[in-house]
Amino acid sequence: MRVETVRGQGPHSTSLRSGPRRTFNTARLLMAVLREIFDESAYYRFLKRTRTERSRESYAEFLRENAIVTARRPRCC
Amino acid sequence: MWLVVAAVCCYALGYRFYSSFIAAKILVLDAERATPAERLDNGRDFVPTNKWVVFGHHFAAIAGPGPLVGPVLAAQFGYLPGTLWLLAGGVFGGCVQDFVILLFSVRRDGKSLTEMARDEIGPVGGFIAYAAVISIIVILLGVCALVVVNALKSSPWGTFTIAMTIPIALLMGVYLRRLRPGRVLESSLLGFILVMLAIWGGKWISQTPSMAHWFTLSATSLALIIIGYGFAASALPVWLLLAPRDYLSTFVKLGTIGLLALGIVALRPTMHMPALTRFIDGSGPVFAGRVFPFAFITIACGAISGFHSLISSGTTPKLIRRETETRMVGYGAMLAESMVAIMATIAACVLQPGIYFAINSPAGIVGQTAENAAAVISGWGFPVSALDMHSLAQSVGEQSLFNRTGGAPAFAVGMAHIFSNSIGGQALMAIWYHFAIMFEALFILTVLDAGTRVGRFMLQDALGHVWRPMGRTSWYPSILVTSAMIVTAWGYFLSQGVKDPLGGINSLWPLFGIANQLLGIVALCVATTIIIKMQRARYAAVTIAPLAALVLVTFTASWHKVFDANPRIGFLAHARQLGSGGGTARLIFNDRLDAVVTSALIIMVALILVESVSRWMSGLSGRTQAEVRETPFVRTRFAEK
Repeated sequence: MRVETVRGQGPHSTSLRSGPRRTFNTARLLMAVLREIFDESAYYRFLKRTRTERSRESYAEFLRENAIVTARRPRCC
Repeated sequence: MWLVVAAVCCYALGYRFYSSFIAAKILVLDAERATPAERLDNGRDFVPTNKWVVFGHHFAAIAGPGPLVGPVLAAQFGYLPGTLWLLAGGVFGGCVQDFVILLFSVRRDGKSLTEMARDEIGPVGGFIAYAAVISIIVILLGVCALVVVNALKSSPWGTFTIAMTIPIALLMGVYLRRLRPGRVLESSLLGFILVMLAIWGGKWISQTPSMAHWFTLSATSLALIIIGYGFAASALPVWLLLAPRDYLSTFVKLGTIGLLALGIVALRPTMHMPALTRFIDGSGPVFAGRVFPFAFITIACGAISGFHSLISSGTTPKLIRRETETRMVGYGAMLAESMVAIMATIAACVLQPGIYFAINSPAGIVGQTAENAAAVISGWGFPVSALDMHSLAQSVGEQSLFNRTGGAPAFAVGMAHIFSNSIGGQALMAIWYHFAIMFEALFILTVLDAGTRVGRFMLQDALGHVWRPMGRTSWYPSILVTSAMIVTAWGYFLSQGVKDPLGGINSLWPLFGIANQLLGIVALCVATTIIIKMQRARYAAVTIAPLAALVLVTFTASWHKVFDANPRIGFLAHARQLGSGGGTARLIFNDRLDAVVTSALIIMVALILVESVSRWMSGLSGRTQAEVRETPFVRTRFAEK
């Protein structure tokens, strides 16, 4: 499962259907939320943008690029 | 349970009707208008994202220790004042602020609150917003650190568990970077398992005298260690400590909030705290001051918190895919946080009031010995015995629960009570208590290291205007100097709280509340100014009403904190009392410093209000051309056919 299946695909991309599909979609959505919160999807977007593979080097590069954004992100009281 | 049902009904009505009204009549959300996430999509910070994903992201960022600690402290007035403020403040204040600031930031390419204040109100507004952010960060960090110190002092179990989260975070950093690059969820799960083992190991540590000795620390020692930690966290590379800790804390936070909600629904605990206590008259032991205005500055997050406006004008507006989704993300996520605060109120109020006051009252009020404290608290009409408290302390694996001010231990006992009645019974009470303490301390330390770093960057930006090399965020001398400046500033407030015979929370939490509400005033001034410029002045009451409430609360509270004749409330009266009683010069200086800081904050409120009102008047009278500084309309490609 990839994050982009629920992101950026228009307003109907997450519409919940009936039955088991609804459960599946909810679980998929929950995972997408967690991946966004935990920056996994940001790394995936980085890989896609730079056309690189998951590796130590690409992750180090991603961390370098993201360091300022992460460090400037306030955490609320 | 009725409280949960009532709260959910209020929130549902607020969301369905009030937020719809704001969206339709004032903000006129436009589903056809492209957002910056779409127009400036760069795959990095600007990314069109599913609304539920943004909702989760935004909620995880705004939910901090505030909605847990504030309602616990305010429970000294009874459950009713705090609950009413959470419901009314949330629906008509906090949610509105978060929603409108988010939308206005979206319409301005994701600009920050300080940028919007400068553009829409003027340079004074911009400067005050900047000063307010720095002030709130410094005071917030000092208060948060004090809550952790009070929760961990003389507690080898808790101290060991929290100490272990540092090597665990470092391990996660190395795991993410070297072993399994980018697998954050996996490493967070691994970190969570290790933290649970650390909680279990903490029990062994606390029961082994030779080991317990090393982790039984005084408040002063803990304060010094936390100050050192804050400095290290600010100066070390992000990937090594800050980011993994943040992931671990978020993982535990989301899981625990979910567990607490399930526990409350499953157990339906009985609340023992009365609706109102005798302490609404201002004589409360947890903090001094009447229910008005002090309940309203004690509970900020959960009702209305200025800090949220930083998040609403930070990462979130850059992820919003469609304008219409700002309602669910801005208004909805704040409702969810308000619900968390309601759960914290319940966790505090399920305790017997005598136990609640025994935990939260400082030794300076109830006396040094357990017998003395129990007699004083029972004399207030809330029976408790030294034996009850001893048994409770034993059941949670602590030596004593008297004088554990700060709110965190009381919340942890309440949470452990709810959890242990749901799973594991009394046998697991100690584990649940230390799980709750770990959860709160982890939460707070994450705010501490992220806040120190954010403060460092702001200081570097400012000093860069004076001497360019200081503005280089990767230049190590600048990193060390600015980190030291920020840590010294909040470390001073922390040491002040540790030395305060009244427990520190009495003076510092109101100061934090005032600083936080000041930022809320800045945000609502910006919002009102924009609404008037949008020719929606007839609906401006939507932001003016919470603004007026905040101004009234902040001004009244500040007046009391500076000038009240009661030494437990007024800083100057307390300094005079210390002076006449031969108190130390340091404590007298601290009181005077707090008075100066409070006065400076209130002067800033007055200045921004004057500038905003003058802008509103000139706009309404037609003296100046109201110019809305939105980015031009571009049609979205996500529009429904």
